[in-house]
Amino acid sequence: MKKTLLISLLVTLLLSYLAISTYGQTEIASESATPTTASSVEDSDIKTLKEKVANKVSEIRQKNNKAISGFVLSNKSSIIKLKTYENEEFEVELDDTLTKYFKITGIQKKEIKADDIEKDDYIIVTGVLVDKRITANSVFVDEGFLVEVGKVAEIDKENYSIKIVTTAKDNFTLDIEDSTKQSMLNIKTNEAEAAGFSKIKEGDTIHFVVKQLAINKNNSYSAVKILIIPQEYFLK
Amino acid sequence: MKKETLTAIIFGIFLGGVVAFFIINKTKEIELNKNKVIAPKNNLNNNKNIPDNTQAQPLEITSPQDGLIVSQNSTSIAGKVEKDTLLVIQSPIKDMTFLTIKSDFKISFPLALGENVIKIVAYPKNKTFRPQEKDLKIYYIDSEL
Repeated sequence: MKKTLLISLLVTLLLSYLAISTYGQTEIASESATPTTASSVEDSDIKTLKEKVANKVSEIRQKNNKAISGFVLSNKSSIIKLKTYENEEFEVELDDTLTKYFKITGIQKKEIKADDIEKDDYIIVTGVLVDKRITANSVFVDEGFLVEVGKVAEIDKENYSIKIVTTAKDNFTLDIEDSTKQSMLNIKTNEAEAAGFSKIKEGDTIHFVVKQLAINKNNSYSAVKILIIPQEYFLK
Repeated sequence: MKKETLTAIIFGIFLGGVVAFFIINKTKEIELNKNKVIAPKNNLNNNKNIPDNTQAQPLEITSPQDGLIVSQNSTSIAGKVEKDTLLVIQSPIKDMTFLTIKSDFKISFPLALGENVIKIVAYPKNKTFRPQEKDLKIYYIDSEL
């Protein structure tokens, strides 16, 4: 019985060894693809590897340097909480010495202080983003805009407003003000030309820009500008 | 040969076979994982706007990348779309409309200081196809910062 056991053990070991050595050969074959005989070649390889690592680190840093934007929910104890248009919340970590603060007005920017940033301000933050936390290099108080496109569903000629349904099925009500820049596509030249409210028809496609608001329950905005693509374009 | 010896040899071969089978399978699995090609996320996003006719060139923006931070007051928007498509590019400071004469397009687009939300809409020549949309957020931040 002992002899039997010994033989079976030996056969098992032999076959396992054969199988393992086959496995090992596959791995070694791929590992040994790079020639590593002379030391100069090794040095060169190490140098290349170092460069690759350095480039990768730089790339990751660049990749992590992101910008996010949204409305301020709170600004307390060196942490700003903000909410993006997509309803994502982020924490902005401020550094007393490193973080810079600016307010953008038109084409100019003015340096401000962290305390000047208030709830419902629209801010842009640049810095290193990890998950939902960004370490701020700079914070800019700016105006946020929405750029959308949709079809005219309803026109209120008395109140100079239009209801729009976007391709994502979102509903917007746009007030056309005196200040609203209005233009329409010339279907012959494919160029935009100045137009008025009376040119808008139900079924037209409208590209529009509105200023984002911190609180807006009805999706009602004052239009900054509109560009009408008349329905005749699609019948051409 | 004794009966016990024969049993032992068969038993040994069987066990060895099991081990070999396991190792070979594992090796194959490792090889497969090494060679697996994972499609980039961008490609998945691009599929969102493929028109009904899959043979048509879908709107594709090759540059700039969404979320890019630049230090110049203009950027070059380049991409691919079906020939003779009406492209409408709109941002808070600029509207552009033009017909593409080739399947590639490249235009210079102005940027305002701060955040630039840009919507690019392609209206195909064949009006039965759905328009395609792409959104970009480009941040123009002064280099002196």
